[in-house]
Amino acid sequence: MLTQVLVQLVVVVTLMIAVSVALFVGRRRLQVTRTEWRTRLRATAPALAVLTVALLFNSIARQLVPDLSWMIGWNLTWAIYDIEGQFILWLQSFETPAVTAYFSFIYIYGYVFALTFPVVAYFALADTRPLRELLAAYTLNYTLGLVLYVFVIAFGPRNMMPELVEALLYDTYPQYQHLTRQVNRNTNVFPSLHASLATTVTLLAYRTRDQYPTWFYVTLGLGTSIALSTMYLGIHWAIDVLAGLGLAYISVSLARVLVDRWSVSAWIASIRGRDADDDREMDSSSDHT
Amino acid sequence: MLAASVGLSASTSGCLQHVRSIVNRNEVEQLSLTITTLSADGDRESIQLAQDIGATLETAGIDIEIDMQSREAFRRTVLINHDFDIYVGRHPGDIRPDFLYETLHSKFADESGWQNPFGFTNLTFDTYLDRQQRAGGEEREQAVSRTLEALALEQPFVPICVPHEFRLVRTDRFDGWKQGHLATRMGYLGLDPPTTEEAVLRAAHTDSRPSQNLNPLAVEFRNRGLVTGLLYDSLAVPRWSGDGTDAGGGDEETDGVEEDGDRTYSPWLGTDWTWNENENETEAENEEGDERTGNGSGIDTDTDTDTDIELNPDTQLEPTGTLTVTLREDCQFHDGHELTADDVAFTIDFLSDTTRDDSEFPAPSPRYRGHVDPIADVTKQGEYELEFTCTASEPVAKRVLEIPILPAHIWTERTETASIPAITVADGTTEALITENLPPVGSGPFQFENRTQREFVTLERYDEHFTRRESVALPEPSAETLRIRIDPRSTSAIELVESDEADVTSLALESYVVDDVLAAESEREQTSDSDPIEVIESSTGSFYHLGFNARTAPFSNPRFRRVIARLIDKEQLVSDVFYGHARPIAAPVTREWTPDSLAWTGTDPETPFLGTDGELDVEAARAAFEEAGFRYDDEGRLRVRY
Repeated sequence: MLTQVLVQLVVVVTLMIAVSVALFVGRRRLQVTRTEWRTRLRATAPALAVLTVALLFNSIARQLVPDLSWMIGWNLTWAIYDIEGQFILWLQSFETPAVTAYFSFIYIYGYVFALTFPVVAYFALADTRPLRELLAAYTLNYTLGLVLYVFVIAFGPRNMMPELVEALLYDTYPQYQHLTRQVNRNTNVFPSLHASLATTVTLLAYRTRDQYPTWFYVTLGLGTSIALSTMYLGIHWAIDVLAGLGLAYISVSLARVLVDRWSVSAWIASIRGRDADDDREMDSSSDHT
Repeated sequence: MLAASVGLSASTSGCLQHVRSIVNRNEVEQLSLTITTLSADGDRESIQLAQDIGATLETAGIDIEIDMQSREAFRRTVLINHDFDIYVGRHPGDIRPDFLYETLHSKFADESGWQNPFGFTNLTFDTYLDRQQRAGGEEREQAVSRTLEALALEQPFVPICVPHEFRLVRTDRFDGWKQGHLATRMGYLGLDPPTTEEAVLRAAHTDSRPSQNLNPLAVEFRNRGLVTGLLYDSLAVPRWSGDGTDAGGGDEETDGVEEDGDRTYSPWLGTDWTWNENENETEAENEEGDERTGNGSGIDTDTDTDTDIELNPDTQLEPTGTLTVTLREDCQFHDGHELTADDVAFTIDFLSDTTRDDSEFPAPSPRYRGHVDPIADVTKQGEYELEFTCTASEPVAKRVLEIPILPAHIWTERTETASIPAITVADGTTEALITENLPPVGSGPFQFENRTQREFVTLERYDEHFTRRESVALPEPSAETLRIRIDPRSTSAIELVESDEADVTSLALESYVVDDVLAAESEREQTSDSDPIEVIESSTGSFYHLGFNARTAPFSNPRFRRVIARLIDKEQLVSDVFYGHARPIAAPVTREWTPDSLAWTGTDPETPFLGTDGELDVEAARAAFEEAGFRYDDEGRLRVRY
């Protein structure tokens, strides 16, 4: 069942990306990319490597986080519920099968698309900085999010009020349970990574609105839909989403500062240089003794 | 001058004293309590009950907070650390009422596990439990009734309801699902495969804990011990009573049982057992009449009767009889070690103290504690025969037949206190209690193959198991492999069965999907659909309850507990939370053990709800609290002195 859902996901998202590439990227950029892809790849490789390591670490750490959280974390579910109370219920009062279908689609397919398409789109730009910023921002989202998950235990609305907040996604489309539980633990809802990553994409789309003007407007709608879907489906509290927005802002700002701060090629060169320095120092110190 | 200073000091000291006696009085504050319970993923009904009850308590002027925890954390908080005000959850219960002894006896108040998590201590109540523990024959029933009536009076916990269990099975690959209860090992043995090719039995399990830990003693990880029951053998298998509601297993394996006439247990690892009543044991006098006294006045201490054990908690219990058990010969553990009387004797000793007297601080097992408590002594009569000296009546003493037999050669090494460098570990935390026990080595019909955390557990048939022998007519494992797939929700577990990816939902379905499942079933019947899917309903002794931490005020006050009990509309909760698929109860036992005085009559016979149709009569609730000695402030908040 998991493979079936996964295959479906890959097919649908690939189609969405193909259409979007045709719409937003255009033939000219693709042609240039074909000639420049090696250099661009080399430029982004360090950022990509860092992200890969972060994701691998994340997937291992996620197994350990719940145990760690129950030892040292704060259980904030009641505090969150006490503050925002009925908002999720109000949101769910708009429930219709069509809306549920839309938000379920957005939560699964829309989200994966929102995260993957910018990678393709920014790769098609001559300037690799947006792509590197994007990858760095993803890394920061996952890493900072993980730290918060360790310290905050919070169950989502569907766990708190199962009869009022219907777990719309999992009861309407039980097959997705197999997919999401590979990624998410039920105590890790603060902050909403769905919201933070979607916002990250939107913030960066704003910065690249000169290159991709339409894409920015698409991300506005898509990002809002993703954030709403997490609440409408009873998975996140509004506070989780707000925290997600904050996390996105911090990640994007940090990424802006950090990217280009270190250059791997320069670093390698400097190591070589320093090695030479060290040798010289060793020599001189031996002189002293 | 002197006179003036003396006068001054006298007057100031008087004044200070006055101030002190005012200041040193503790503030009377609004009662604020935390309801500890499980998240919806852990137990959907528990959080719903907690939400409903919490809302009612708030109307009655109590400040409420709900602390949701995962399955494992919940059990650790409530059963081991006793760190709660009140909790709502499911008790594993039993088909016979003897579990009440360890659940409520004051001598277990300091232990962990399901033995007295409430910290309820009442010497008079202890005498009822002691009597129930030792009474035989007709007297037993009477003793049980008195315990239950005293329980209804004292409300150390509020029994809420017994849910009906529904499971979905496929009959095209394996059939014969109704032979054993699907919450026990017997449900998965003796199934008929239509062809020999169908070697894999696939269960969809909605609880991931078996994939993390398979220690039969770890109370945080076990519900009723289904998976460990398949891995470990017990001496005998409890038979479900013939009570009409106790469906699903009434007439399992009738063969070989009639001869010894035991209607409560059928043979398993033990082939035979005999009970020898002690001659000199004076039968406790028959109690006559219902001696319960008026509401809220505590339990009547009837001093005129029952002089032997009653009212003296220090009396050493005289042995009541001996139970002689014969083991099946030539049985082995999964690692090839011979299973002998030594292992049985070891297990009983080990369960009562997992340190095996090594340490000053005994560490009894949090599970099966009540089963071994009445065993005063074990003597080996031979390689395959044991004699237990018991301090309880025959039916109670026989509970020892239900414990899992642990291999002595593995568990003797688990008596040390667990240690982590640089961290202080609580006394009594032996390796045995915290080990994941992977791979588990038992002697049961299935042996452990592998697992992936939160994904699956695979068990292989143990071909050497005694049920596989020609000469043994007991249900045997027909599937070569039992693959337990972890699937966290009822809806997706149902989908797995419907799409032929699983044969059975091994845990009961959540109440909110039951109506849909039953509707689908009746639709299949009407359209004579050939879908080989069947709904199995089974009864259970397990019940939902609200537990008080009687170690602290105001929960230590029975009057307070009784008023809280009266704020709970069990009838309404059954229809709201369980969609009617549960039985509201005033006594936490099966129907056949419920005394007439506590039979459900549309309302609670002892602590009726203060209101109608789930709607609390706030005035009546206030009056009840005030009558119990509590006060309200001007804003309608209940105030207590902690």
